[in-house]
Amino acid sequence: MKYAQLIRLLVNRELTLRYKRSVIGIGWTLLNPMLTSFVLWVVFSFVFASRLPGTQQYAPYLMAGILLNTFFNQGVTFSAESIASNGSILTKIYVPPQIFPISTALAGLVNFFIGMIPLSIVCLISGQAIAWTMPLVLIVGVCLALLTSGIGLTLSILYIRFDDTRNIVGVLLMILMYFTPIFYPISILSERLQMIVSFNPLTSYLDVFRWAFSDNATASLFDWGYMLSTSLVSILIGTFVFKRYWPRTVAML
Amino acid sequence: MSIIEVKNLNVTYRVLMNQTGSLKELFRDAIKGKARVVKYIALQDISFNVEKGEVLAILGRNGAGKSTLLKVLAGVLPPTKGSSKVNGMIAPMIELGAGFHPEMTGAENVLFYSALMGREIKAVKQRIQPIGEWAGVSDHMNFPLRTFSSGMVARLAFATATDDMAEVLLVDEVLSVGDSDFQEKSKSRMREAIQGGTAVVLVSHDRRAVLELATKAIWLEDGRIKMSGNPQEVVTAYEANQ
Repeated sequence: MKYAQLIRLLVNRELTLRYKRSVIGIGWTLLNPMLTSFVLWVVFSFVFASRLPGTQQYAPYLMAGILLNTFFNQGVTFSAESIASNGSILTKIYVPPQIFPISTALAGLVNFFIGMIPLSIVCLISGQAIAWTMPLVLIVGVCLALLTSGIGLTLSILYIRFDDTRNIVGVLLMILMYFTPIFYPISILSERLQMIVSFNPLTSYLDVFRWAFSDNATASLFDWGYMLSTSLVSILIGTFVFKRYWPRTVAML
Repeated sequence: MSIIEVKNLNVTYRVLMNQTGSLKELFRDAIKGKARVVKYIALQDISFNVEKGEVLAILGRNGAGKSTLLKVLAGVLPPTKGSSKVNGMIAPMIELGAGFHPEMTGAENVLFYSALMGREIKAVKQRIQPIGEWAGVSDHMNFPLRTFSSGMVARLAFATATDDMAEVLLVDEVLSVGDSDFQEKSKSRMREAIQGGTAVVLVSHDRRAVLELATKAIWLEDGRIKMSGNPQEVVTAYEANQ
């Protein structure tokens, strides 16, 4: 593909630029999730650790949730913003605009995979064995990348047309985060709430991820199906919406 | 076959009356029936051809449609009606350094900018040093762009854009980059390219540059072609009208 090299450069730029001025540079990609997890672990382990069933350990449970949530949250916000922030390029040089949201999602994917290193360390420390199903995390990552780029493509059009979408999206993402079992076990919720939380596709992604990585949750066939179908639907809607509305939106950049 | 063929080109923007860009206000206006979409005609019935080695100058006041026309030629903005065909690689030199990032080094920026224009990365890597030398910034290529002066940035951008000559150059007021030495250098590079068969579309208020380089000219007013033909005549008529 003609634009593969450009995507590679963009992903690279996305990964290195954020920490360009810092001393340890890309090392922050490793350190960030560990620090966040540690803080939340200190805060929540008293409350939730004892509520996890059987052999599940709280520290890797929590960190897996944080890694996935960071990927989704940053993936959506950054890729939605990527079109508007690269407007000066897009109004002058012809490149397929979709490559900006897609590169951002891919950079998130790389970060997510890098995050497997600290997650393994936390697993080892807390005595949770890493499962032989671990390579399946690859599928979870790809599905998440498709999900985020699909949402990002749709939102990037809205971001240009309506300034206030940003704020609405911020609030929605926060609500979604609390309806995902990131730091609490789903079993502590009332039956009604459990239903709502299971309705959230991210719950299925997270279940599959935790199960595949270290057998730290149960993933049903429904979870797999829900994950695969939502990622496909998202990317299809995203590309369709983008194709349809881009010609009119580019005039507003 | 002409390198650039523009036929009956029309571009219409749809503009929201009282545009606010806020969902709340759009919603309020929609309820009150105040939201109205107005069509704004930016370009109307534009036709022209540019052949190999020709330089087309576009004259016109601010808002006459020059930038819109360049966007259409660059393939960024789709025409509402009519067609615009460019047969060949385009190097858009509209606001130089549009893809530059202040935190990346000069060399990284050259690479990225070239990739944006569709060049092969591997080949560009060999060209980084010569580009830096031509722009007179070779000692700085490994420093972040934010440490460059604005003149250095513009020179580097010009050098990168013209390093591998494309079939079509879209130039918007960038010949006035740098000091007079560099201006001479960049003009002679343009002349070389034109002799080599590059077609140029030039938007400039610099009367001297237009008369020096252009082989034909178009005068745009309110999105229409008011006059076209010999650059000397068009410039004279345009200036008489000011």
